Amino acid sequence: MPAVPPGAGLLPVLPALRDLLPGGGLARGTVVTVPEFGLLCLALAAGASAAGAWCAIAGIPEAGLAAATGLGLDPGRTLLVPGPGGSWPQVVASLLDGCELVMVRPPSGAPAHVTRRLGARLRRGHGVLLVAGDWPGAQVCLRVAGRDWTGLGRGHGRLRACRALVTAEGRGQAAGPRARWLWLPAEDGSVAVADPGLAPPAGIPALPAAATG
Amino acid sequence: MTAPQRVMVVRCPGLCPPPGAGPGRGAARPFQRALAALAGFCPAVEVTEPGACAFAARGPARHAGGEAALAAKVVAALAGLGVGCRVGVADGLFAAACAARATEGDGTVHIVPPGQAAAFLARLPVSELGDPGLAGLLRRLGLRTLGDFAALPAGDVVGRFGAAGEAAHRLARGRDARQVTARPPDADLSVAWQFDPPEPLAEPVVFAAKALAERMHAGLAGRGLACARVRVQVGWAGGRESSRLWRHDGLLSAVQVADRVRWQLDGDQEAGPGDERADGGITVLRLVPDQVTRATGHQLALWGEPVVSDRAARAALQVQAMLGQHAVLRPLPQGGRNVSEQVTYVTFGIKRQPGLAGGREARPWPGRIPGAAPAVVYPEPPEAAVTDAAGRAVTVTGRCAVSAAPAALAIGGEPPRPVTGWAGPWPLSERWWDPAAASRRARFQLLTGDGRAWLAAVQGGRWLIEAGYL
Repeated sequence: MPAVPPGAGLLPVLPALRDLLPGGGLARGTVVTVPEFGLLCLALAAGASAAGAWCAIAGIPEAGLAAATGLGLDPGRTLLVPGPGGSWPQVVASLLDGCELVMVRPPSGAPAHVTRRLGARLRRGHGVLLVAGDWPGAQVCLRVAGRDWTGLGRGHGRLRACRALVTAEGRGQAAGPRARWLWLPAEDGSVAVADPGLAPPAGIPALPAAATG
Repeated sequence: MTAPQRVMVVRCPGLCPPPGAGPGRGAARPFQRALAALAGFCPAVEVTEPGACAFAARGPARHAGGEAALAAKVVAALAGLGVGCRVGVADGLFAAACAARATEGDGTVHIVPPGQAAAFLARLPVSELGDPGLAGLLRRLGLRTLGDFAALPAGDVVGRFGAAGEAAHRLARGRDARQVTARPPDADLSVAWQFDPPEPLAEPVVFAAKALAERMHAGLAGRGLACARVRVQVGWAGGRESSRLWRHDGLLSAVQVADRVRWQLDGDQEAGPGDERADGGITVLRLVPDQVTRATGHQLALWGEPVVSDRAARAALQVQAMLGQHAVLRPLPQGGRNVSEQVTYVTFGIKRQPGLAGGREARPWPGRIPGAAPAVVYPEPPEAAVTDAAGRAVTVTGRCAVSAAPAALAIGGEPPRPVTGWAGPWPLSERWWDPAAASRRARFQLLTGDGRAWLAAVQGGRWLIEAGYL
């Protein structure tokens, strides 16, 4: 079996994302949502994969695997199901049996009985369900509240790095909003903690003092 | 251990394709005639490579009055067809093939007496093993002939070269590459179901396939064997036949084999003329285990392949059973100028193609967009409208001059977003030597007011969004 430390019941994440998650990792048997698929989803999966976990990506044919491998995702331990179609709940259930982390974007809204059944299946196993979209009853919801790309001018330059404000809210242990400025991605393609001393760029609301702590 | 099998290899140099080339079309027909002639000596002729074939020599030689007499008859028969051939006879297929190559010219015969295979092979260079990588390594180690290699202790060879080295070592010592398995397994282990009257519907056939697969698995398991592949053959009353190999690796359940039968029937319906009545229904379903080996647990992880965990493999096979084999993919990073080319996808369970070796991502790809890779790469890039401040469409000339600075971007049918930053055009002209695959594009990076960034390309006057930095 891959060497994922089972002790705390957590799947490891990239160091820059630890502060955003209760316990510093993805709790096994829980659902984590990101409202919109993007680099944040891939970064969440990359840490677990780099630590030896099997990951599956279902229903996201446009997932940029080159970016994900740059973050540490091991392509040799990744399964892709680009088009699960209407039977996606069964596909996710099967994948949860074999993979520690399953990323899915439900093609349609997830009906309550489906989320309940998959939630029960999750709690029995050791997997983490990472949903790119809505999921009633998710333990943690991460989202990118604002972005600020650097390097691109008007007619010159190129995209170099993006400073993003990532917020996390959740239930129970995860309650209370957390927020961090991250380089998503940094100039070398990795994910790193951005300097909070930098002034928030124009157009992005300043954080309430309690949330940044 | 039984006495080694006497094998005769007939090699037609005139019909062998040059090294590296595929089988020549012109050579196929004379070779077919040669095979038909050889079937007169031995019914079970095995084609080992284009232009060469082999068969067990013991029976035919006894009938012909000795191996030399048999070889002379073979040479004469093929000469009558205008095909020049060389014949080698020895213990085992490898030694016989080497003997056929060691002959002096067309029409000559080289017979290695029984028990002399190892001595005959000892003089030959290691390149005869047919594994250039291993042969090169052995030469660098100072082992120039098969005799040098065979003199090494078998245990050390396994420790240093692994299973492939062990197989080569067995060849060099004049043994078969693999431990002899129960032979002949193919004829014994195939199972068939006759439908009388012919069955016009697929469902009952799939149902029968499940019971049939259980019988096949029981037959294999009873002998301690597993098969790497299973061939599904379906015959119709109208004479049509369908035959396809499916990967098995000893992992499939009976239900999963039945699913593969269903896919094959479905696929045939789509490809075929679609007139079911003309075929008259299915008369026979046969499952033939292929590449039978000893059951040593599951065999998905072969030499040089990443190990697939049992649990993940089972999950993938389950999804394949639900959605079809090609629904589960594995990513394989490789280099490329375009973001969509930097990862290829291989169907789970299919062995890697040699051409898709990976590792090309580190090579320089001039024209590649520098910087971090985008998180979203559209398999089918959506069309977009890019307009300037006056609302006119932004165009790019053949000399890469932009008509005006982009001011708004509308992807698909979405409302336009203001463009707050842009760079480009970065031209890319690919495969200009091949009119069918040629493409000329000018790429842009666009930053929109909502903080998102996009990789867009202008091709043939159309704007396409290739990727999103989301």
